Amino acid sequence: MTELIITTGLTKFYGEHRGVIDIDLGVGEGQVFGLLGPNGAGKTTCIRLFLDLIHPTSGSATLLGLDSRADSVRIRQAVGYLPGDFITYEKLTARDLLEYFVNLRGHGMARAESLAERFDLDLTRKIGELSRGNRQKVGLVQAFMSDPRLLVLDEPTSALDPLLQQEFHRLVLEEAAAGKTLFISSHMLSEVEIICDRVGIIREGSLVAIEEIATLRERALTRVEIEFADSVSVDDFRGLDGVRDVVVSDRRLTCSVTGTVDSLIKATARHTVVKIESAQPGLEEVFLAYYNDDSEKEDSGAA
Amino acid sequence: MLRNVYLKTLRDSRKSVLFYSIGTVALGLYVTLFYPTIRDATGFTDFLEDLPEVFQALIGDAETYTTAEGFLNAEVFSFMGPLIVSVFAIVAGTAAIAGEEESHTLDQLLANPISRTSVLLQKAGALLTGLLVLSVALGIGLVAGSKFAGFDLSITGTAQAIVSLYVFGATMGLLALSIGAATGRKGLAGGVSAGVGIVGFLLDTFLSVVEALEPARFISVFYYFNSNDVILNGINAAHLLALIGITGVAVAAAVWQFGRRDVSV
Repeated sequence: MTELIITTGLTKFYGEHRGVIDIDLGVGEGQVFGLLGPNGAGKTTCIRLFLDLIHPTSGSATLLGLDSRADSVRIRQAVGYLPGDFITYEKLTARDLLEYFVNLRGHGMARAESLAERFDLDLTRKIGELSRGNRQKVGLVQAFMSDPRLLVLDEPTSALDPLLQQEFHRLVLEEAAAGKTLFISSHMLSEVEIICDRVGIIREGSLVAIEEIATLRERALTRVEIEFADSVSVDDFRGLDGVRDVVVSDRRLTCSVTGTVDSLIKATARHTVVKIESAQPGLEEVFLAYYNDDSEKEDSGAA
Repeated sequence: MLRNVYLKTLRDSRKSVLFYSIGTVALGLYVTLFYPTIRDATGFTDFLEDLPEVFQALIGDAETYTTAEGFLNAEVFSFMGPLIVSVFAIVAGTAAIAGEEESHTLDQLLANPISRTSVLLQKAGALLTGLLVLSVALGIGLVAGSKFAGFDLSITGTAQAIVSLYVFGATMGLLALSIGAATGRKGLAGGVSAGVGIVGFLLDTFLSVVEALEPARFISVFYYFNSNDVILNGINAAHLLALIGITGVAVAAAVWQFGRRDVSV
């Protein structure tokens, strides 16, 4: 498989401040790769390095076989890019903006028009008059309109409402099915789970793991809280497969589950159950489950 | 007008170019229509000659003030002309790159398949084009006004003075553009460029009568622009080349630094 993105020891410092450190990464053609991490972990730095908007302190990035520094114009010709907050010329109408960027890229407006229709975007409005969500739609359209071989999207859905997020996810899956390669940063595990094949976890500037989504999901913790009609004994829930941190106080049980909840459900079913609540694992919990790391204090910004 | 960065930049500045051009036409007309009043005023030359040296430095040479070219030299090419073109040029120069960066639009522009050098040069080209329109408008105002007022104006002298003014404006604007491109800081770019203009003006006028400061005239942009009184004596090629050279060095340095620095989000 051709690797469309390869980074070797990619490092960026902003003066004293850490951007990313020693990122080694490979993304194969046709993959949807998610870069998952809390805010400030270095996701945006990584993406801006790819596009040569900032330059590495050391190491290198190769996109589509081209060096990010030496061949940045050719790279950008073949890459669609969307930042988390799409800011552009407020006085232009959406159509004028798209026309301008289409001209700079040297292709036609046809795909831009159809994407705008798909996302129900009014092209006659000025960018400055659009809500943040609609502005982000313009960003989406311009990222996809050149039908690029590689898409680099930085927190693409953060400003979109749930319906549009779903539409965006469908678009990503279509592009992936058409053989496109996508590199998507996100702080939402739920999103990465839906659209990505592989995920890299970035933490404090370092890429700490790259995993298939399926593997990560197996290891992800689910917090479960169960309320029973009568008091239960903690012994009934000890040693269950994938269940840990079991705490019972009178009629209430809390625990963490990795993988399937099957054994817990079967053990629970022996009692009369009033209520079950399970919480989607937060990124922090995934991290903790994944690394069994004792430094729990950091990166609490998993919002 | 959205075909490329050059045309887009011109499009953005179209209103500004229009208003400034109305201003330079008006200046040309106003000064030329006013000139006969000065020419016909008796005793004006004597009055000027009696003024202290420092006021003559400001107003203009007493001997030539009542000639058409001398009057225009004093009233257009010594202060108002360079003021208008440099304000236009510095505003356009700071907006070009540092302005886009501070309003967060540069990032997305540079994500397109276009080199930073090309962006910088196209923006410089748009600035030079806008400035050209202003300068031509001034020429039209001056020539038309002299016709209305019914006096002969040296076309070659006026044209040369306008060329010199154009080069001066280009120097100020491209200096601002270069500092902005190199640093990404609009305030710094505008401040330094305006400072160069103001200090240059002071060194070449008020301070030119201070003997101790005489050698400092050579660092003044105004010295290279019009110490030769271009409308009367023609272009001093060496002076003009000095301005062009300084500008070329500034732009080259900006291309280099803009290419190697990080662009902020």
